[in-house]
This record gives sequence, C-alpha cells and structure tokens, in this order.
Amino acid sequence: MRKLTFLNLLTVLVLVVLTACQPASTVAPTKVPPTKKPVPKAVTLNALYMNQAGYSDKVLLDMANKFHEANPNVKVNFTFVKYDELHDKIVTSAAASTATYDVILLDLIWTAEFAHKGYVIPLDDKITKKTRDDIAPAIFGAFIYKGKTWAFPFLANFQCFFYNIDQLKQAGFNGPPATLEEWYDQMVALKKKGIVTYPYIDSWNQKEGLTCDYVRTAAQFGGDLFDKDGNPIMDQGAGLKALKFMRKLVDEGLADPASMTTDEPGAMNAFVSGAATFNTNWTFVRGNMLNPKVSKIVKSARTGLIPPAKGVSAPAGSVSGFQGLAIMANSKKQDAAWKWIEFATSPEVQGQHLKSEFPVWTSVQNSAEEKRINPDAGFYATNLANVHHRPKVPNYPQVSTIIMEDVHRCLLGEMSPEQATKDMVTRIKALD
Amino acid sequence: MPESLGRHGKAKSLQNRRRWSERRFALALMTPALIVTLFVVFVPLFYALYLSFHKAEIVVVGGRGGLLAQFVGFKNYLYFLKDSRFWYSVRVTSYFTVVSLLIEMVAGVGVALVLNQEFFGRGIVRTVFILPWAVPTVVNARMWGLIFEPHAYGALNGLLQALHILGPTETINFLAPIPIFRNVPLVGKVTSWLGATQGINWLIVGDTWKVLPVVALLTLAGLQTIPRELYEAAEVDGANAWQRFWLITLPRLRPVLVVILVYRTMELFRVFDIIYILMAYTIPVLAIETFRQAFVYGLFGKGAAIAFLIGMFILLIAFIYIRAIYVEEE
Repeated sequence: MRKLTFLNLLTVLVLVVLTACQPASTVAPTKVPPTKKPVPKAVTLNALYMNQAGYSDKVLLDMANKFHEANPNVKVNFTFVKYDELHDKIVTSAAASTATYDVILLDLIWTAEFAHKGYVIPLDDKITKKTRDDIAPAIFGAFIYKGKTWAFPFLANFQCFFYNIDQLKQAGFNGPPATLEEWYDQMVALKKKGIVTYPYIDSWNQKEGLTCDYVRTAAQFGGDLFDKDGNPIMDQGAGLKALKFMRKLVDEGLADPASMTTDEPGAMNAFVSGAATFNTNWTFVRGNMLNPKVSKIVKSARTGLIPPAKGVSAPAGSVSGFQGLAIMANSKKQDAAWKWIEFATSPEVQGQHLKSEFPVWTSVQNSAEEKRINPDAGFYATNLANVHHRPKVPNYPQVSTIIMEDVHRCLLGEMSPEQATKDMVTRIKALD
Repeated sequence: MPESLGRHGKAKSLQNRRRWSERRFALALMTPALIVTLFVVFVPLFYALYLSFHKAEIVVVGGRGGLLAQFVGFKNYLYFLKDSRFWYSVRVTSYFTVVSLLIEMVAGVGVALVLNQEFFGRGIVRTVFILPWAVPTVVNARMWGLIFEPHAYGALNGLLQALHILGPTETINFLAPIPIFRNVPLVGKVTSWLGATQGINWLIVGDTWKVLPVVALLTLAGLQTIPRELYEAAEVDGANAWQRFWLITLPRLRPVLVVILVYRTMELFRVFDIIYILMAYTIPVLAIETFRQAFVYGLFGKGAAIAFLIGMFILLIAFIYIRAIYVEEE
C-alpha cells in the first residue's frame, strides 16, 4: 500500500512539473515588429524540399555548394521528402517556437492557408520591380494572397499534353488534336482500330492530382470551378461539362479504368510503356518519356498543347502546379534564408538547368539557349500562359477533399455528374 | 515480553526492513522506465485528450509558433458521431479488421500446426517463414503495389498473361474500388454499404502476407506448451485428429488466441500504411481520417477526438473478446 502511495505521489509530482512546463495553450497575440539583423557568421540554413518532381536532390545539392562558395558563412542543409509529406512537415515546423526549417517549398495551394495562419513571411519588401516585370503575372499571382507575396516562384510546374505520334499515325492521324472534340474522335478511332485498349490515362485516384485534372478539364472548356469571389460554381457551365466529359471517357472505355487507382507517376509509367496514346500530366513527364532507360516510346513521344473545346478562345487550357520558396515566420535566420532564395531562383541559376526544368523568368524562357535545349518550349509557354489556378482559400485542403471525393464517386458510376457537382457546391458552402 | 516473542518480533522487524529495502531498490530500478513512460505515453495521451475538447490549430504569431486552442466541449466528438462519412469509415475499418482477422487466425493456426510437426528441414522452414515479418510496412506496400500494377508490366498481370489465364492485351485492375458482388441484388447493396470492394480484399491479401508469421509463431509458442500426454491419452481413447484439435488444442490455445486477437485487432483497427500508400484516400479507414483531420486539414482537436474514438472502439472490442473467451476459459 505504501509502495502504491509513493508511486502515486511520484506520478502526480512529475505530472505537475510537466504540466507546468507545457507550452501555453494559446499563443500570446503580441506582434513583434520585423527587425533587420545582419547575417550572422557561420549560419546553417535548414531547407525543406521534395524528392519527387522538379529539381532533383543532386541538382539542389549542387546549387547549395555553389551558394556556399559564393557565401562561405552560409551553409544550406536539405531535408528531402515526398510531396505528400511536405505539408505535414511544414505544419509541425510551424508549431515549434523556433522553426525546424528556415526555407520551405510552398505549393501554390497552401499560399492562403500559410499566409492566414502566419506560417510564412511576406516577401514584398525584398522583391524589386525589375524582378516582378520579368516573371509572368500568372506565376507570381499564384503566391499572392490578400495583396501580399508569400513565396518566390521557383518551379514553373503546369500540365502539358503528351502523346504518342506513332500510334496516332497508325490510327490515320497526322498530328495531335487541335480541339477537345478532335481529341475525343482520335480516342474513339484508336480504340476502334485496336491500336491500344485504352487510349488515355490520367491520375484519377483520390489525391490532389484528381482535383488538378478536374480544374484542367474545366479550363479546356474555358472556365473555372470557382468564381472570382471564391464561390463554388462547378454545378454549371465549364465545371459540369468537364465532369460529364471525364465520365464519358470512362463509360466509353476511352480512359483507362486504372486511372481511378493511379497517381501522376503511375499514369506516366503507363504512357511511357506504350499502353496509352495520351497522357495529360506535369512537366516532369517530358524528361522521362525521352529517357531510354525508363521509356519505350522515346522516338514517338511528343509534347503538345492541351486542346480546348470548340468555341473556347484560348489556344490551350491547363492547370498550375507552381511551387515557390518561402521563409518560415518562426525562423531566426530570415536574412540568410532570403539570400539563398535569391540565389536559387535567380535567372542565372535557373538558366543552368534548362534541361530539367522550365524557368520561371520570361527572359530565360524566351532565350535562344532555352529554345535550343527544349524544342517544346513554345508548347510549354502557351500551356503556361493559359493555366487556371485552384481556389486560393485558407481551408483549401477540405475543399479539395470534397472535390476529389465527389469526382471520384462520379467516375466510379456511383453518382451522376449533376449529382456530384451539386453535392460539391453544397458541401463546400457548408464548410465553416 | 517473553524472550522468544521478542526474538520473533525482532526477526519480523528485520524481515520487514529487508522487504522495504527490496521494494525501494525495485522502485529505484523502475523509476527511469516510469519517467520515460510518463513522457512518451501519458503526457501525450493527456495532452491529446485535452486537445480533443478544443478547436486547435497551429499558428505563428510574432515569430513564435504554437497551438491556438479554444475550448469547444464535446463538439469535436459530436461532429464525428453525427457524420455519415465517419460511420462509413467505421464500417470499412471493421470490414478490413474482421476479414483480415478471420484469414490470419485460420491460416495462422493452420501454419502453426504444420510447423509444430516434426519434419526434415523444419528449422529452415521456420526461419524462412518469419522473413515477411522483417519487411518494413512501407516496403511491403510498395512491393504489393508492383505486384498489383494494373498494366501488363505488373507482376501478377504478367504472370497471369504468361500462364495464358489472361489474353496478351488483357489485364486486371486488382485494386479497383468496385464493391464485390455489386450486381447481385441485396448482397451488392450490403457490400457497398460495408465498403467491401475488390481493392480492399487484395490489400487484405498483401497485409496478411506480412503479418501471418507473427500470428503463426505466437500460436506455435502456445502449441508447444500443450503436454503431449494429453494427445497420447486421447489417441488411446480413440479420438480422431479433428476431435483432438477441437477438444485439446483449441481450448488450450485460448489464452494465446485472446492475446493474438486483441493485439491484431488493435493493429488492424488502426491500419494506415498499405492503404494510404496504395490507395491514397480512396479507402477512408479511421486512421486515414485521423491523419487527414490532423495533418492535412490542420484540425488537431478533431484529429485527437477521432483518435480517442478509435481507442474506445478497440477497448470495446477487447472487452468483448476477454468476456467471451478468456473468462469462460477460467
């Protein structure tokens, strides 16, 4: 009994001590004015980046070495994670009194959330007018929320149209479709002639890729899923037409049913194996489809414009997947962090990696070097100029979940496009 | 006081002091472990319980990160209890748990019975059999992803094509989220309601492959405690193999089976890795919903509430097991 009493006392004592050491449940809403401190000596910056698409870890490490040579007092220490883990890592880093990561890779869909919750700092006072003028408003705009810029564009990621010209020629076509209707006709012909079992594959499993593909298809019909005030309007116009089109491709066996359980790399694998003639996907596909180590269609793989529906004035319809570099608000090394961002995003550094990525700078996109290295630069530029963004709202993850759930159920035949889009509008409006 | 009584009293006092000294020594040995347990189990547990009654989100103010918590009472719990999607998650998690458990228990006991027999190379077979358990869960999920790949380059599709079970252009999308027996009247509705899809069934196969060795080895350990004399006596009495299994093996295995059932139910009810890696959010089991609430939406209060609901479900199931099997055995 005495033993138990002693143990209980000890437990209570430790609990009391620990409770007293707990961080306060509420953060004191005191605002500390931003202060400019000189860059301290021997700073190690912790940067969070993804090891999935975009610049490879090798390229990033090489950039960091060059940066260190130019700035011997600053060293960049990378943490590479999969895209799916980025958001969680950033959120948990924000929870700490001092940031785990000083510089993060910010996907454009998190701009509103991170700005709203104060995770990252605005960069407007650091960006010159000359810089702004050399980056397309479509790219910069993705990182602007409530009039402030929260990340500097780093990756000009967007969707492109990839096709297999040999299979198209076998079906009797000379080139890629100019319109969405022509695209449909080509798919029907490819299937009818037995050239492929399923002419098209996309990433339609329940992940962010599905929301992107739905936004892109609506863009092909010349519209958006949300109005300019952020209200959901997918139950009418382009949003409804897009879902009907996606469902039609599934019902008629034109889209591979495996799309429903496939993500972007999986869809690319099917395309580069020759199993599908068309794939709408992010820019990372180009490098892979032309790589003989992973692709069986190196000679027949082509990049093109994402075909818009007849009557749509835009020459293409795409979706943005831009990513920027941002500075955590709880970082104590913000000046050094900006130095690294300036270096990594500079036109000089981006100009050295034209083989792997499409630059964010207009001057570099239009350079003779870019045109020499990437013969598809023209298609890239047109798709990029016609990107549509996903909505910029602080509760975007919940909004996107609703979209992907209902679109997925519709594609599986559990709901009609009308029911699915109506359900999306109702549920999104009901979010608090 | 008589001398003998005094001696007895002294001896007792000495014994008590020794016992007290032993207790203190034992306590001193346990204290580090207790403090660690307190830090890594009880503090987070109580903190999560505290969060479950709050609307909690991470914010950074004035360059300092922290948790902004606003008391909301039982609102987080009621949110899930009233949400039909939560109950769908409960059903689909229960389906995964029950079907997996059935297969694991039947196959596990079967394998253990075989491994308990004496045969040439038994040691090697036992060693090889444990290998799947050593495979990390993420690696296991990725491996089954390659096996279930829905195109011709998928291992299983390739094998079926090589065996001419599938035609050269035919493939199966094993992980298709299509309800099983969906065209059978009534049954299709039930499977759809349960979330019993073709995809989840194949995931059960992948998950079972990995954990079957644990179940079999725990059962084997139980089998080895059963005295051989019981079987010999039963044989003398004319009991056949089935009767020996039903009347000797199974009752004697009950305590081990209860442990396995509780352990595996806990594991299965919070299944995450294989489903998230291969199906993303297509199969919204409870652990995936918890992850989504806390880490995707940043709603830590709701995430904590759903985690406690999972804990309560597991407690309830464990209670039922123990009442139904263990007490009866006593």
